Amino acid sequence: MQDVSQPAVQGAIRLIFEHDADGVRLVLQQAVNLAVTGFDVHPDVRPGHYVEIRDAAGTALTRVPVHTAFTGSTEVFPEDHGEPITRVDASGQPGAFTVVVPAPEAAAQIAVVRIAPAAPSAPKPGAEMRSPAPAEPEVTDLASFPIERAK
Amino acid sequence: MTTADGSVIGTTQIFGSAPANRAFNVVLLAEGFTAAQQAAFDTACATFLTAFRTTPPYDELSPAINVFRVNVSSTDSGADDPTSAGGTGATARTYFDASFGGNGIRRLLICNNTTALTVAAAQVPQFTVVLVVVNSAVYGGSGGSIGTYSLAVGATEIALHEMGHTAYGLADEYPYYAGGAETGHDHHPATEPTEPNVTINSARATLKWGWAVASTTAIPTMSNPDCSTVDSRPSPVPAGTVGLFEGAHYYHCGAYRPEYDCKMRNLSVPFCHVCRQVIWNRIEPLSTLPARDRTPISVVARYPEHLDVFAVAANGRTMSDWWDRSSGWAGWFQVSGGIASPGGHGSPVTSIARYSGHLDLFVVGTDNRIYSCWWDVSGGWSSWFALGGLIAATGSTVNVVARYTDHLDLFTTASDGKIMSTWWDARSGWAGWFQVSGGVAAAGATVTAIARYPFHLDLFTVGTDNRIYSCWWDDRSGWSGWFQLGGLVARPDSTVTVLARYPDHLDLFTTASDGKIMSTWWDARSGWAGWFQVSGGVASPGSPVTAISRYSNHLDLFVVGTDNRIYSTWWHDTTGWAGWFNVSGGIAKPGSEVAAISRVTEHIDVFVVGSDGIVYSTWWDGSGGWAGWFQLGIT
Repeated sequence: MQDVSQPAVQGAIRLIFEHDADGVRLVLQQAVNLAVTGFDVHPDVRPGHYVEIRDAAGTALTRVPVHTAFTGSTEVFPEDHGEPITRVDASGQPGAFTVVVPAPEAAAQIAVVRIAPAAPSAPKPGAEMRSPAPAEPEVTDLASFPIERAK
Repeated sequence: MTTADGSVIGTTQIFGSAPANRAFNVVLLAEGFTAAQQAAFDTACATFLTAFRTTPPYDELSPAINVFRVNVSSTDSGADDPTSAGGTGATARTYFDASFGGNGIRRLLICNNTTALTVAAAQVPQFTVVLVVVNSAVYGGSGGSIGTYSLAVGATEIALHEMGHTAYGLADEYPYYAGGAETGHDHHPATEPTEPNVTINSARATLKWGWAVASTTAIPTMSNPDCSTVDSRPSPVPAGTVGLFEGAHYYHCGAYRPEYDCKMRNLSVPFCHVCRQVIWNRIEPLSTLPARDRTPISVVARYPEHLDVFAVAANGRTMSDWWDRSSGWAGWFQVSGGIASPGGHGSPVTSIARYSGHLDLFVVGTDNRIYSCWWDVSGGWSSWFALGGLIAATGSTVNVVARYTDHLDLFTTASDGKIMSTWWDARSGWAGWFQVSGGVAAAGATVTAIARYPFHLDLFTVGTDNRIYSCWWDDRSGWSGWFQLGGLVARPDSTVTVLARYPDHLDLFTTASDGKIMSTWWDARSGWAGWFQVSGGVASPGSPVTAISRYSNHLDLFVVGTDNRIYSTWWHDTTGWAGWFNVSGGIAKPGSEVAAISRVTEHIDVFVVGSDGIVYSTWWDGSGGWAGWFQLGIT
């Protein structure tokens, strides 16, 4: 193969958040030259907590999962590895988490969201059978922040 | 007890050479090491590195992994160890404010997560995971957004377990919350966990890790006879057997794990097969894809700002990458653990989007049976499942047509060359396989199909006499017999490429026995035309002709030439056929296929297996012409 070029990595932003019983705060947003894999920017909708990137009109452009925050508990590890790992309650305790999100040119807002499973719609009696339309997830905003672009 | 109690000394990369912007970057932070104790931190990092690199599957993923150590000095040595949690009462002025005794439990070792994440971002902006190494011989650690562990023997296992949560979203597989004596954890709630390694589903056909379960393994593999307690019996199957083991995700019953044991269940045991696959699919997308040389690539645009590409890796794994305008290329990942038949040129993964939120895939597996899986925006990837008992010709292609949204028609060749079909309809499910009008294809030939109308199909193949044949199906008259299209003698393994620029017109392209690139057309008003050579073109032996139509009066063709360069030409109704030209200097594997798609009319995306066996792409845009080739991976 000739004339091969390595494609430029699309812009991304690292975000660091703190959270406690009072809510979620954004403590750092930092442009970063990093490829975000489809493993994190998965296009299928799964319940959980996410950081979502939106355009100026509030339309979601992309989202990445928050794996370890908001769990309400923490693990305690046994010194004897034959003993069980256990969990203890950590509800409301302060914590922090980070994500790296793609930052397309249209990105204007950051939102921390919770996605609940979509409720299945009841079949319509007598209606012609169709493939299920993609279910609209129930997205709840926990906090939102503007994206700061370097001048 | 703050960052005033120390300073960041510097950062050293201790493993890896991957570009940091396309790598899995692990950062180790020193906590509770004084300036004079930094050598001890360096030793601890080396110990971690040995454990990390020898833990499957990380032992096979080294090319995409970097490890950095960040030396940080603290005023005092160690960590706080409060007496209220059974500790010594020691206090230590340290940079990340580490302390044993979180939640009153001595071995729960915590630190200031915000400071750790901020320091890591400053030192290694592209970091993936952060581990804080605490200078204490007291056993302890914790998880969450960062992993924290001490120097006690075995504490590195905490870091490896916690990375399972932080980097991959793996669930805990242990069947209890507080060790097994808790209440309220007898039965898992009736909600399917989103994590890939636990489930409440006990149906083999829809099991999320069904791709890893042998047909001879019982499902469930192990059930808990007493849900009031943890099932502590030994495994009924050999270690490493993937099945369905009851007791997981903090509950004694009603939730299942893939293997009897796993690092997400117990420390000091290996990750199970399913967790290893998840780790692969997080790290491997950072690499390019060595592909099977001649196995066709398939590409689908579910909507104009999105592409899904499917290829087969050199080792047979069914792989996908996707591009979205908002996030770029996602990186290659294995689709549901699939392995394609290696016969012939290798069975390709074929794909179709019946609507924008759904994909259906088809492939011939290593047992030469036809398999399918799907992706749906609301549920992600399904497992592969066999479509009946048909034994296909080794390495054959499954072609698929959606005449309308709720219907699929499939075509392939059986092991004896018979041309076979089946269909799926949303109202009736999958039909059985049947031979199409007694047709038999030449060895290695594919069956191509097109739906000019929702009630009509046209089929094309190379017969056992190496002539081109066609037949059709119409819902008013059923299947026609096969008929010969002129006297062209084709290569026996030729593909007949067909396009309908509008419903009453077909354009066909194939390669003659001498490699000439040949075409004919059919029009409802004039019938079939004779075969003619397209602009004097000759293809690399076995390379099929790829055709797309961006307008009803325009065609673009792609092929690998006899010099293995990638060529294109076009036809326009006002100017006729152009000469062949080399696309951006591209060279492909001999006999390979060029995949092309036009997701918007003034744009073409092209995909090939390059001369070095790596998948490449380029594009043409009406405003800028042809771009250079790039290795397809992640952007």
